[in-house]
Amino acid sequence: MDPAGIFATSYRQDQSLIRTRNQAFALLIFVVALFALPMVAEVRSVAVMTSMLITAVVVLGLQINTGLAGQVNIGQAAFMGVGAYSTAVLASKLHLPFWLALPAGGVFAALFGLIFGLAAVRIKGFYLALTTIAAQILFHFFVLNLPQKWLGGSNGITLEPAELFGFRFETDISMYYLCLVVAMIMIAGGYGIARSRHGRIFAAVRDDDVASGMMGIDVVRTKALAFLVGAFYAGIGGGLWAYYIRFVAIDQFTLIHSIWFIAMIIVGGMGSITGALIGVFVIRMAQESITSMGPALVERIPFLGGDLVFAAMNIFLGGIIAGFLIFEPRGLMHRWNIAKQSYRMWPYPY
Amino acid sequence: MIKQKIWASVRVRHALGSAALLAVLGSGSTVYAQTTYNIAGIADFTGPFADVMKDITGCRRGVLDWWNEEVGKSLGVTLKVKEHDARYDVAQVASLWPGIKAELNPIAVWGLGGPDSNALQQRLPNDKVPLLLGTAGYGFAWKDGSWVFNARATYPHEAAGFYAWYQKKMGGGPLKVGVISSEVSPAYVDIHKGVERFAKDNPQILEVVETIYTEAQPTDLTQQVHRLLRKGATVIQVFNNTASVVATRRALQSLGKGNLPIVVSAHNGLLSSGKALGDLNRMEGSYEVYGMAIPTDDPTAARAFFEKLRTQYKTQANFTSPCMMGLATSLLTVRAVEQVVKIKGPAGVTGADVRTALQTNAFPSELTFGVLPNIKFSNDAPFPTSGLAVNIGTIEKGMYKLVEQSAPVPNVNKW
Repeated sequence: MDPAGIFATSYRQDQSLIRTRNQAFALLIFVVALFALPMVAEVRSVAVMTSMLITAVVVLGLQINTGLAGQVNIGQAAFMGVGAYSTAVLASKLHLPFWLALPAGGVFAALFGLIFGLAAVRIKGFYLALTTIAAQILFHFFVLNLPQKWLGGSNGITLEPAELFGFRFETDISMYYLCLVVAMIMIAGGYGIARSRHGRIFAAVRDDDVASGMMGIDVVRTKALAFLVGAFYAGIGGGLWAYYIRFVAIDQFTLIHSIWFIAMIIVGGMGSITGALIGVFVIRMAQESITSMGPALVERIPFLGGDLVFAAMNIFLGGIIAGFLIFEPRGLMHRWNIAKQSYRMWPYPY
Repeated sequence: MIKQKIWASVRVRHALGSAALLAVLGSGSTVYAQTTYNIAGIADFTGPFADVMKDITGCRRGVLDWWNEEVGKSLGVTLKVKEHDARYDVAQVASLWPGIKAELNPIAVWGLGGPDSNALQQRLPNDKVPLLLGTAGYGFAWKDGSWVFNARATYPHEAAGFYAWYQKKMGGGPLKVGVISSEVSPAYVDIHKGVERFAKDNPQILEVVETIYTEAQPTDLTQQVHRLLRKGATVIQVFNNTASVVATRRALQSLGKGNLPIVVSAHNGLLSSGKALGDLNRMEGSYEVYGMAIPTDDPTAARAFFEKLRTQYKTQANFTSPCMMGLATSLLTVRAVEQVVKIKGPAGVTGADVRTALQTNAFPSELTFGVLPNIKFSNDAPFPTSGLAVNIGTIEKGMYKLVEQSAPVPNVNKW
């Protein structure tokens, strides 16, 4: 619902994301704040934001795959891992530059995801979830059992810092800016996909794949494409992760990570690109707050002991996720939309 | 006259009071100024090792309390540790580290294991802070120029020490070893690959009949253990976790082979496995091996040191193998700092200095109160590679006992 007095007079205006001058101004301020963050915030905050940006790219892919297209995927961490390993191998063994290794990692992840996209054509729901869990297991199996020279085996792979036009991204701040730029590109792409005919096709297949097929949508192609795009995003996120940590090993991409990604789109709101970003922010902030507050609480209330304090906080974190599923399954974006609508309608109730 | 007397007595009292005050103030100048250095502690209060974290962090802190009081004071140095919960997760360590470094400017960081090494090994050469771990090393970290220091050699090294000792004890031909491993972690895969390499290089000591892969927390391994027994296994190695030990022991008992020994490590030791089984007697005849003191009730130097920490410095921990890991990490660190201060004085100690001290000095066992054997690092590996020895414990008649001290570790080639 647009603010009062705002009317679209063309199709392009109707489809645009930024609909008012105020929105454009707010977005500009937000982007400037993101770029200015390292100058005003402490180093820890920059590191947290960097990991949030990387996670946001991966979760965005999951949102396109699961939230937009309705294809359950509990193997997003495996796709991220494929991207990370591909990027690491291309960078460290074939010495490809960053600007080639990163997108190539995304492509390899997309191809791996396509395999499961083809499986999604015939199965859905619970059975598709099980099949995507197989992605997780297959990824671990291949890495550990293929010749060590290929993927490093249990040794993992180390890589040099990303380098672009002679500049090495070796510091936390430079990596933050790199991840910020890549994330902005991927987020813009995500919004583009959501607003395009592909996004509408994904939504149609999500809502009713049988009816979509009868309306002339190629359901097979759509489901495969959803996995392809989602896995590509995960692969790009994995490549950024590889350059950030500069060491990849399989225990960085486990089933638990996939479940956390699912939790992020649930908390944020399934089907919404902005919701995915909000979910990442909320969950990561909760995790970081717990980690920060814990030692201080233990010091102030020593009789509780560190184990009890931290365990109680972990339960609290899991409780938030369960709470959202029960009380607000449409996530924080739904609450935001209600608040926005109420504000625009005020003082009228409807 | 009386007024004069009173006034004189007041002046005398003032003079005496001033003299006393000056004496007190003057005595303050004999207190040495202490330079404080920070150590960053990475802990796991909410992850897979939360249940043993109290012992690790308690013992780490206890060593600092002791050292600050009995050694640091005379050197003019105080060491402080701040623990951070990283959940044994690489991503958490990576996001915590920049803030830790900026806030504490630590001269050393105490880690727990693989995730800390994974997250930090590429950064530490730039950040110039050594990472000390109480776990055994890994083959995939066997590189030169490392800023990571494991107080113990690798798990395959420790296993090799056990097999060399056990084969000699049993006599006859090579041992037939069955390995229970898992692919859930590259560390587990690394362990059995190292043991297989040792077996290949030393066929007179052991033969690995088969390596069984299980899930992370197996509940029933009867079929798998039966396969190992059919292949003639005379000892089963389980270096994964306590759940694997429990499942293996139950399988052996159900197959009527309850007397077949299992060999375990520090993190899934006899005591914790016995506790999980509900009865320590069920681990009768099994062994644990690692390159640290075994935390038995025997009156060893390590036990005496721990009791001192507990009674005099109110250390809140139990005397367990996780506590040993905490003691090992912290004792190595404080001894390295001592070496630096001897050369450089109390001011300006850096992480690079601590690393140099670790690499260039030998640390005899007496310096660590018998917690560690004689330790000598080099630039070739993040763990000691020569002069290695292990301690072996067992359960005998329901009692947890040290059965062999300082068993030499044969040469183990890189795998």
